[in-house]
Amino acid sequence: MKLTLRCRVTLSFGFGLLVVTSVLAFATWNLASGYMLRQREASATRQAEVNVRLVERSLASPGLDELLTGLTTGPDSSILVLGREGLVRAGREVEPSQLPAGLLERPPGTERITVDGLPMLAVARPVAGDAVYVELFGLQQLNRSFTFLGAVLVAGTIGSALLGAALGSWASKRALKPLAELNSAAGRIAGGDLHARLPDQDDPDLAALAAKFNSTAHALEQRALRDARFASDVSHELRSPLTTMVNAGAVLRRRRDHLPGTAGTALELLTSEVDRFARMVVDLLEISRADQTDDYEPEELDLSALVRNVIATRWSAVPVDAGPVRVLGDRRRLDRVLANLVENAERHAGGAIFVAVSRAGDRARVEVEDDGPGVPEALREQIFERFARGRPGSRGDDSGSGLGLALVREHVQRHRGRVWVEDRFPRGARFVVELPALTKS
Amino acid sequence: MCVRVLLVEDDERIRQALGLALSDEGFSVDEAGSGEEALHRLETESFDVVLVDLTLPGVDGLEVVRTLRARGDLPIIVVTARTDACDVIAGLEAGADDYVTKPLMASVLAARVRALLRRRGPGRESVRIGALEIRPQEGLVHRAGERVHLTRTEFRLLLELAGAGGRIVTREQLLQKVWGYDYFGDTRLLDVHIRRLRRKIEANPDDPELLLTVRGTGYRIRS
Repeated sequence: MKLTLRCRVTLSFGFGLLVVTSVLAFATWNLASGYMLRQREASATRQAEVNVRLVERSLASPGLDELLTGLTTGPDSSILVLGREGLVRAGREVEPSQLPAGLLERPPGTERITVDGLPMLAVARPVAGDAVYVELFGLQQLNRSFTFLGAVLVAGTIGSALLGAALGSWASKRALKPLAELNSAAGRIAGGDLHARLPDQDDPDLAALAAKFNSTAHALEQRALRDARFASDVSHELRSPLTTMVNAGAVLRRRRDHLPGTAGTALELLTSEVDRFARMVVDLLEISRADQTDDYEPEELDLSALVRNVIATRWSAVPVDAGPVRVLGDRRRLDRVLANLVENAERHAGGAIFVAVSRAGDRARVEVEDDGPGVPEALREQIFERFARGRPGSRGDDSGSGLGLALVREHVQRHRGRVWVEDRFPRGARFVVELPALTKS
Repeated sequence: MCVRVLLVEDDERIRQALGLALSDEGFSVDEAGSGEEALHRLETESFDVVLVDLTLPGVDGLEVVRTLRARGDLPIIVVTARTDACDVIAGLEAGADDYVTKPLMASVLAARVRALLRRRGPGRESVRIGALEIRPQEGLVHRAGERVHLTRTEFRLLLELAGAGGRIVTREQLLQKVWGYDYFGDTRLLDVHIRRLRRKIEANPDDPELLLTVRGTGYRIRS
């Protein structure tokens, strides 16, 4: 698995700071602990030497015991004097066998030892020729200091590694913020929002990128606007003469009886073609409008009510089975979808015989069934293409615009839905539209 | 009685063809080639309905609609070649009662004109909603004793809602009952008229208290 850039920056910041602080902590530990130990040794040696002088003077006297007891500094310290007369000791009980032999045989010396599990500093000094004075100093205090120092240093190291990671995360987030903005702006443009722009950047490294992106987006927007304006102009220019033709045609058709024979047939042809042409232009304009402009106005609506209404208004003979399903949709487009499907069935299969609305999981389903010849497997995709004319073998009257099903697919896709055709048992075709349903609120 | 229609359209061919076809449908059609001419003729003659093309040279269609609406409640149908939502809405906001897009068939237009001019059945009792008093027989609406001027379409819309006595009236029912033609999904017509009506009868149109929206379904009057 590849780590994200941000993750890598965060990790390397954390790791870098961990390395640096652990080196520093290690050095500090060494210096401080060495220094403290040396200080302790020096003071212990000094004290031992003073004591040795005192002991030397009263070595032979019987008060040695008492003197030694007076010289011990705490519960953990002990003093041993090993002479010809034997062993005299005070303070904590320590056997000479517990002491390193070298220290007793060749004083003076200083050594760190462990007695009964306790760390001790042993200082040995020769007294009056052949006796040996050994004083043991407890080192627990010092060890506690070492533990504390160690804990502080480890905590500091971990803390700084975490701080490093946090810093890395923050810095990379800041550094990558323009990239995230770029990503979201590009996404919005891809999604059709051509107004998306990047904010002005202060950083010269980023300003050029932002400016280039914005100018590209601007050019794209202008282009889309020009196209939309062109479509709108074409729309206007085509609609006006069509209005004249359609209405002049209607006037003529009304007087069909005055034109018998050939002229009448020609008139019939002319007016029906003009009507078809008008339908084609309207559909063509709608489909090009769907490509370019966005007047999609979704609202929450009950699909079953919409379907019932369209069918009741124009095809009241077609049975409807509709359960309530709420969808987010544009009424005009959804009406168009349904009307086109029913018209398509009329044109190619003798009319729809059943319309159903249901809910399947999180999808709303509209089905339009006919008992015509059905759609061959090979054409099931193709019939949704623009100007895919008639199904072979059907008794289509060819009066459609050739855009009806293409518009259906266009509108359904705009609603993030799907449309397809399947076989119906025992014969005929079933057109199915699936749209995302709204959960009951 | 023959319905008098004034057709305001700058394209002479459309005017002629539409004029002929509407005459076939049984209307008496007068034609005007510009906004100025239309406004001038409307000052002196009386018509039952006006058909206005939105794109006119000089005084444009929207201006004609606005001026006519300021003068009274003469039924206006806007004819437009542009089907973009904003053009349609602008025409309706200006005060039109209905709109058709080119290429329009005279038969469709005729059906809409008839629906627009259709008289109401026998008058009902007057209705009271809050400070609003509706007298269907006289076609008058008073708000806190003061007369509110509604167009014929706005009045019919209000009456339809008031007649339901607080029940929900779906958008489809309203479109069919008020505009009376095969409704085809275009609810902009209804949306704009509801907005216009609210501006006239509500104290605060942005926060309606009388004419309530039932989301996803339709509207109802607070009873």
